Amino acid sequence: MVHKVLSEQGAGGITTTAIRIRESGIERRARFRGLAEPLSLLVALAVLIGVFSLLNERFLTASNIQNVLTQSAIPLIVAVGATLVILLGSIDLSVEGVMGATGMTWILLSNNSRGGADLGPWAWVIALGVALLLGVASGLIFTALKVPSFIVTLGMWYVGLGIATMLYGTDLLPRLEDEGLKGWTSRISLGLPNSFWVALLVIGLGILVLRNTRIGRVTLAIGNSETIVRSAGLPAFPVKVAVFAIAAVLSGLGGILATVQLDIGSPTVGSGVLFIVIPAVVIGGTHLGGGKGGILRTVLGVFLLTILNNGLILSGVESSYQSAVTGAILVAAIVFAAWSQRDRLRVAK
Amino acid sequence: MSLKHNRGALVRFAAIAAVAALALAGCTSTASGAGGSSSSGPIAKEDLVLVASVINTTNPYFIANIEGAKALSKKLDIPLEIIDSQGSSQTEISKIQAILAQGKKVVMFVNTVASSDTPTIVDAVKRAGGYVSIWWNKPDNFEPWDAGDNFVAFQKHPGVDSGRCNAQAIGDALGGKGNVIMFPGVQDSTTSQTRVAGFEAEMRENYPGIKILENQPSNWDPQLANQNAKDLIAKYGDQINGVWSADDGMQLGAIQAFDDAGLLDKVKFASDGLYPDTVKLMKEGYGNNAIVGETFHRGYMASAIGLYTAYLAATGEIVPSELPKEKRTSFFDIKCVTPETLGDYLKYDTPTAAADFVDQLVEKGPWDTEPATLIGGGGPEVLPKP
Repeated sequence: MVHKVLSEQGAGGITTTAIRIRESGIERRARFRGLAEPLSLLVALAVLIGVFSLLNERFLTASNIQNVLTQSAIPLIVAVGATLVILLGSIDLSVEGVMGATGMTWILLSNNSRGGADLGPWAWVIALGVALLLGVASGLIFTALKVPSFIVTLGMWYVGLGIATMLYGTDLLPRLEDEGLKGWTSRISLGLPNSFWVALLVIGLGILVLRNTRIGRVTLAIGNSETIVRSAGLPAFPVKVAVFAIAAVLSGLGGILATVQLDIGSPTVGSGVLFIVIPAVVIGGTHLGGGKGGILRTVLGVFLLTILNNGLILSGVESSYQSAVTGAILVAAIVFAAWSQRDRLRVAK
Repeated sequence: MSLKHNRGALVRFAAIAAVAALALAGCTSTASGAGGSSSSGPIAKEDLVLVASVINTTNPYFIANIEGAKALSKKLDIPLEIIDSQGSSQTEISKIQAILAQGKKVVMFVNTVASSDTPTIVDAVKRAGGYVSIWWNKPDNFEPWDAGDNFVAFQKHPGVDSGRCNAQAIGDALGGKGNVIMFPGVQDSTTSQTRVAGFEAEMRENYPGIKILENQPSNWDPQLANQNAKDLIAKYGDQINGVWSADDGMQLGAIQAFDDAGLLDKVKFASDGLYPDTVKLMKEGYGNNAIVGETFHRGYMASAIGLYTAYLAATGEIVPSELPKEKRTSFFDIKCVTPETLGDYLKYDTPTAAADFVDQLVEKGPWDTEPATLIGGGGPEVLPKP
């Protein structure tokens, strides 16, 4: 288009003006697009909610909304970490392993039916320490040895699962015996489930880190071009390790909350979370290549997936059709949400 | 032990394991290429190795499988190898092939990940001249008598009986009136399907006042059952009077969801397996005696029966092709447990229970050991007519 305009205009002065007009047009559209994407995701979400509430009047009751919020809390917490890692242009596949290792460590050190030590708050510290170690290990191997994050974290997934299985041993299932904590995640405080409050806190902190700290800014810059970041003398190495560490600690926190929610320690407590979290980040519009995206968008992605799952059960879709229907609705929702991004020069991979 | 050290060791171990696996994979292809025909005739005890293959090592049932295999290994004084399939048919088959390639004659128990794994495993064992018993899952049209003596037996507890037993417990507890939700396991698992069919048939035939509101397959996963239960509570609220799960793991997840919703006191639960954790909940009358019925069977009994049957074939004490069909495709008794009869089953969870069972088993043979005696078989389990 630009070429055509240029060739038609001919004379120099007119060309400059035409280019300026075009530039401002592009800029305006870019700004619109920045808004349009989350907006269309919101619209998709609203349509889903609308349809589901027509299909079953219980969908929009307070108790179901609280139920959806409880179910989305753990994926939300883990997804904040996953968003940061994906903004780097990397990926963290270790979430389920880290959740298992942390959850098992935590319950065995808390008041549980197998007996043993009850370390109270120290159980949290030690369990999250395990997660931190796994995260730092992933980060260091990834940065220092330049092994692709995909492989490192895939390995770390199994290391975490292995630790969890060893801790589990061959004894009885460890059940949580702490009456104060039992059912804590789905208990309601100020109208919202406790686990959702934790998720809100994590989301808030995540946004703060991304927008207002050096880690956040360097993370986005690395996602755009690591070469420039490094030649500008910015601390790419420590930031990358820090982001993997943060992501692992958040997975660990998710693992502990999942254990509290189930009331039982299990190495596979995180099963299925990875395949909510990564799609949610991408559906939210964070680029897998890094550099573009954000945490609030991921939140929309998590809600879309959780509501889809809940809504299909409530509207009575037969279980054998559920996965096919989930997939079809999901693809339709993404096509709609990403409609505004069909830029001519945009490359989808 | 520092993590660093641990990781180093793990990496080293992984490397050795990988090299070994590759080497063994090489051997397998040569061995089978050389034309290993199925072996018959007795094998000396010193040449045998027991192998128990389980779906994973975190589910209490599979842990009990391992326990039974260990007890039999000790009793017969034959070394034991454990295969952890990690929930994957591929992992299961490649690990089995690696063990077969070591050259020893195997006596194998496999709790198959999927029905369709059975022919591949049987074929590999046959070529290596070993003997295998398959538990729980096999294709209906693949019978041991068609596959030869190396496929000694297919064994399981009947799912229909299990489902019917649970339905009676819930039906009676609700006085024949009320609404029930169901949590099957993996939807295409025969074990789950037969249990579901038995439960539904019993309700239809004998408890017409009970309505099944919905079933949500929960993949044997307590976490998923917990979420699905939360969704169904949101959907039906206090209309739900009874909850059935295809195994105790999922039931624990479902119970927690009802507990969180403050509904546990009003809802009755029944399920399969009577896991030790469930025994504890039943004994203490958790949630106003929420668990009203269970079926009893133990993983250690399954693995011990399976391995011992294969062992008898390997040593020539039985000739599979001469056995009646119900001793090749066999159903073992499953007991119906209520809170009143719970006391009778506590003896099967003492620390020496597996060893005691194995003692009995070696004395009485694979088909006559209480409480898991042979009650039928000879072909695929017949589902009640819908």
